[in-house]
Amino acid sequence: MTPKRISGIKFEVLSPQEIRRMSVAKIFTPETYSDDGYPIESGLMDPRLGVVDPGLRCRTCGGKAGECPGHFGHIELAAPVIHVGYAKLIARLLNGTCRECGRILLKDERRDKYISQIEKLKELGQNYDEIVKEVFRVTKAVKKCPHCGADQIEVKFEKPTFYYEGDHKLTPKDVRERLEKIPDEDLPAFGIDPKACRPEWFVLTVLPVPPVTVRPSIILETGQRSEDDLTHKLVDIIRINQRFLENKEAGAPQLILEDLWELLQYHVTTYLDNEVSGIPPARHRSGRPLKTLAQRLKGKEGRFRGSLSGKRVNFSARTVISPDPNLSINEVGVPKVIAEELTVPIYVTPNNIEEAREYILRTEHPKANYVIRPDGRRIRVIDANREELAEKLEPGWIVERQLKDGDIVLFNRQPSLHRMSIMAHYVRVLPYKTFRLNPAVCPPYNADFDGDEMNLHVPQSIEAQAEAKILMAVQEHILSPRFGGPIIGGIHDHISGLYLLTRGEKLFSKEEVMELIRPINVEKIPEPKYDGKWTGKQIFSMILPDITLEFKAEICQGCEKCEGENCPHDAYVVIRNGELIKGTIDEKAVGAFKGIIIDEIVRKYGTEEAKKFIDNMTQLAIRAIMFFGFTVGIDDEDIPKEAREQIEEIMNEAEKKVEELIEAYKAGNLEPMPGRSLEETLEMKIMQVLGKARDQAGKIASQYLGMDNAAVIMAVSGARGSMLNLTQMAACIGQQSVRGERIRRGYAYSNRTLPHFKPGDLGARARGFVRSSYKRGLTPVEFFFHAVGGREGLVDTAVRTSQSGYLQRRLINALQDLKVEYDGTVREQTSGIIVQFKYGEDGVDPMKSFRGRGVDVKRIIKEVLAEKEG
Amino acid sequence: MLDRRVLARAYFTHDRLVRHQLDSFNRFIEERLQKVIDEQGIIELDIENTYVILGEVKLDRPKVKEADGTEHLLYPIEARLRNLTYASPIWLKCQVVDEGAPQQEEWVKIGMLPVMVKSKICNLYGVKDTSKFGEDPLDPGGYFIINGSERALVTLEDLAPNKIILEREEKYGEPVEVAKCFSQRSGYRALVVVERNRNNILEVTFPQIPKPIQFVVMMRALGVESDQEIVEMVSEDPEIMKFMLENVEVAEVETQEEAIDYIGRRVAPGQSKEYRIERATQVIDHYFLPHIGTEKEARRAKAFFLARMAEAVFELYLGYRMEDDKDHYANKRLKLAGDLMEEIFRVAFLRLIKDVKYQLERAKVRGRQLRMSTAVRSDVLTDRLMHPMATGNWVGGRTGVSQLIDRHNYMSLLSHLRRVVSPLSRSQPHFEARDLHPTQWGRICPNETPEGPNCGLVKNFAQYAEVSVGVDENEIINVLYSLGVEPIKGR
Repeated sequence: MTPKRISGIKFEVLSPQEIRRMSVAKIFTPETYSDDGYPIESGLMDPRLGVVDPGLRCRTCGGKAGECPGHFGHIELAAPVIHVGYAKLIARLLNGTCRECGRILLKDERRDKYISQIEKLKELGQNYDEIVKEVFRVTKAVKKCPHCGADQIEVKFEKPTFYYEGDHKLTPKDVRERLEKIPDEDLPAFGIDPKACRPEWFVLTVLPVPPVTVRPSIILETGQRSEDDLTHKLVDIIRINQRFLENKEAGAPQLILEDLWELLQYHVTTYLDNEVSGIPPARHRSGRPLKTLAQRLKGKEGRFRGSLSGKRVNFSARTVISPDPNLSINEVGVPKVIAEELTVPIYVTPNNIEEAREYILRTEHPKANYVIRPDGRRIRVIDANREELAEKLEPGWIVERQLKDGDIVLFNRQPSLHRMSIMAHYVRVLPYKTFRLNPAVCPPYNADFDGDEMNLHVPQSIEAQAEAKILMAVQEHILSPRFGGPIIGGIHDHISGLYLLTRGEKLFSKEEVMELIRPINVEKIPEPKYDGKWTGKQIFSMILPDITLEFKAEICQGCEKCEGENCPHDAYVVIRNGELIKGTIDEKAVGAFKGIIIDEIVRKYGTEEAKKFIDNMTQLAIRAIMFFGFTVGIDDEDIPKEAREQIEEIMNEAEKKVEELIEAYKAGNLEPMPGRSLEETLEMKIMQVLGKARDQAGKIASQYLGMDNAAVIMAVSGARGSMLNLTQMAACIGQQSVRGERIRRGYAYSNRTLPHFKPGDLGARARGFVRSSYKRGLTPVEFFFHAVGGREGLVDTAVRTSQSGYLQRRLINALQDLKVEYDGTVREQTSGIIVQFKYGEDGVDPMKSFRGRGVDVKRIIKEVLAEKEG
Repeated sequence: MLDRRVLARAYFTHDRLVRHQLDSFNRFIEERLQKVIDEQGIIELDIENTYVILGEVKLDRPKVKEADGTEHLLYPIEARLRNLTYASPIWLKCQVVDEGAPQQEEWVKIGMLPVMVKSKICNLYGVKDTSKFGEDPLDPGGYFIINGSERALVTLEDLAPNKIILEREEKYGEPVEVAKCFSQRSGYRALVVVERNRNNILEVTFPQIPKPIQFVVMMRALGVESDQEIVEMVSEDPEIMKFMLENVEVAEVETQEEAIDYIGRRVAPGQSKEYRIERATQVIDHYFLPHIGTEKEARRAKAFFLARMAEAVFELYLGYRMEDDKDHYANKRLKLAGDLMEEIFRVAFLRLIKDVKYQLERAKVRGRQLRMSTAVRSDVLTDRLMHPMATGNWVGGRTGVSQLIDRHNYMSLLSHLRRVVSPLSRSQPHFEARDLHPTQWGRICPNETPEGPNCGLVKNFAQYAEVSVGVDENEIINVLYSLGVEPIKGR
């Protein structure tokens, strides 16, 4: 069979003739099965509609269950009913056409003008909804038909399917008659193609009955049959339909017929959509609302979002993650129990048949789980058939072998917000039950080990495996397209470790050096700098490739005049020809997000080299931090008495200043800032004073803490925490705020936050200023205000996560069909419409950009100068 | 410094931690249960001079009826182990009056009431050493046992009913001042809204009316007819009076009769005049501020209340007062286990009455003797009590009211029994409602709230929090009268 290409899809409305034509059976019996369990002819389970029970054959196509796709039937409705989905459009059409002659309520010239406008937009592939909307708006206002001169009465539409003309109710039959009168020539003005659909088709006279394969019944354990919701609903429709017919034939009074008609309308409406507003949903006997056609499609678990945009997959695993620094960044530790379950297919050829046979014969770990014969049969490999299968094995078979070291797999953590959320790793089969990953790859996944779980997928085809290795491997994502810098790099202890190692001129004996570089493959060890001893900077240089760099480190104090190489803080990093000459290695050099060295290595030597560097760097860092020992305790935040007194002084002064500001405000002496009210000015000034006070307190505290303090080391090197955190622990927590303001809600009726204060108190303490430190402890009032401020943070994170998910969905839906073509343009996939002539207007790949900029001028200048010199 | 731990220890020597649950349930069985029955008073039949007088209600101790018909006292542990429901029979004293002839008074068992463990009718009440009955001596009680599973009724935090809440809302891009009042009377809740429209005309909205109606029309319908009286009832402030004069100016009706007919045309369009008037009076008396009263005599009091709402709207507009803070704890009320039980009991009891009525009428038609003991099918009430308790689906569509208690550890149990949930939707941000409000000091724990979508909506009582209960209105009214307050005429 030659594959066929679909050139397009067009949606049309089914006409009654079409429904009858595609129908294989007219259905009019409300019963489904007879007493002896066979489906009733012309019932809803009519054997001509297809088969679901195994063993039976379809009366229409002769196929068995699974082969027969099912066939539509139809119900002849005793009276026309409105299709809810088109109810609103019908209302618009009724108001847009003459009630007498059915013509559009526009003169022909105007109609043609609108039609040509719509044609033009259609040709351009653009949206013409606006014009159609305008036509409906204009025609609705017309009071007299321009064609026959009949007066028009507005048709009022009442949800879901009722139409009134004044007090007179229009029956679906009336509606259909009116729609029939609309001539084909007028329809394009309403945006309707008369060839595709006639408006009277919006009023149903024949109802298609979906094949049984669409609504299979299930057999309960008790042997009872339980029908699908759709079948239930169709039974209702048929029952009422038959009753209506009988009554009509018997010549029942109009009132009864109308009631039945309305009931039929109700059943057809709920059959199509059971969540229409205005009518109660049809319910199952148990009180559960039925899941009818619209409910099958709608929403997260509906056909579109649940079965087409996303689906469940095989060859995947999920478990808790934990760290293993001994793995490379592009490896993942897979528990043995998982590796024994997941498989990789081997397509047997004359060349690999021996290898495949070996897997079948193996009895432990990397063995074959299944073999698939060319006829598609899957056979589990067990002790009993192992030999036999190995014997029978031939090219063309597929052997499913267990996952083993070196296989490529995809690793993913939700939410998958950027492409680094799914990366390819090489398998390392390990004992225990968690996935292991190198902590350096936590940032791209945004993972931590507080119970996070991750998913793993095994690509099944050679193509997929190749693609994963080349495009998705971890090292290919060291540079992030988010900001054009590395997203994989040292974190936490890696940074503290290298900071300790490279700061100043620490000396190491040969034994010590060997201990530090033991896990690293170092080919050449430089000459010791001092008397048989190596400096920390030399040790770090051993893992550096040949690069030349100069930059300010994270610990840079931002001195007024930069001393460059002679920085007194050792904060100016100089690397020449792969040797660290000056400066301390910290977050700015090797950190995820910032690491300049990593950035340079990727650009100069490529991803493989960068991967090796990150592996070595993290190993060395961990060795280093273990060599020195590193610990933080509560007494690290101790500050001497005189510091405490100084802080106390600052706080008192600040509070006094706040009082003064309030006095000035009350006396009317406060000068409002431009564009602010007096109250806002006061608030801002108070916030300023208190903010400054905290900063001062922090400065004093950090002076007393000194640079050897472990907490300070972590803060300044960028490993974890900030000086603000330390300030809050040692000196003063500072102002608590809710939505950027001081805390002001509370006992509003007496204008104070808490009954502990006087009414109208605007002072620092009364509005959530916490002058204590975490170390010293908070007063009850401070504690409470701190909880107020803390709550806001909690709510914020909770609300943000749910909102970001929704934003993500919308972004993906908006951008999913855009593609950057080889000519550099951004086009919509299907239509080829150009969205951007040059990707991003500058044609720069953000991953290869220099922190978002296309060209790094300084770098080029440096390179050219270096060439000239060397 | 004083060692406050001494106080804390003293405080917690009693079963303080779930006291609120027990108190609330005790109050329900001792006072509210009888109240609900008294509200009903009699069961009127569709037969002349035939009715049932409902009298005293009595509760037994929790019991179980075995398959062989024997009955014995049920202890919680047996209920848990045998998947039984820990419930007591409810006995009601009834007297049938058959066509004017009073029959013998009888005690009828109308159903089973789930009993809170360690409440006053619990078999463990007052037992010192509960371990004799297989209980954990530290178990605090305060929960129910339904079909063997231990379920707690979680306290519900709600906006205070019968209170005027002032708000500023945005309508068509303009700020609009609104006074709302959730008027509540025995289970029925009616939202009454007074709002100022663009032209400073006040409009009133309440259940059963399709569109807002003018404030002045409503006042006239309540019997306050003259312009002067209406204006003065609202306020004596010259600014507000100015607005009120505008309101009176545009009023669409002049007299009470006209006003009632006007409302009638709104609630029963296209009907006969008599029916319209009847329907309008019914709507005014039953759906407008029902908490003040549902009789005709309460209309004047309602007018005063409505005038107060109007005054508040203008005061907010003129900046005399601020918007009310919905999250202020003074504007919150807690529905505890007893209140929640009352809700389902009322509905179940009404259902029972309907059934009894049907049964009695049928018996009458068949010429049998009218006896309550045969007319009452006790399952009617019992099922309607058990089903919400077992599933958590309360009347009014609230879910998760009864929850399987968290027995992960002792503290999680205590925490669960002290939980307070807000009915606000989890999916919307509701930043303000999730904030820790300073008025929660001492009432709600500042720290214990879940992270995630329920943050700030699910709360817990503070350690020393105590729940006070409402006082009978009439008591306070009497005190006020004795202090020389003059009653509103017509009440």
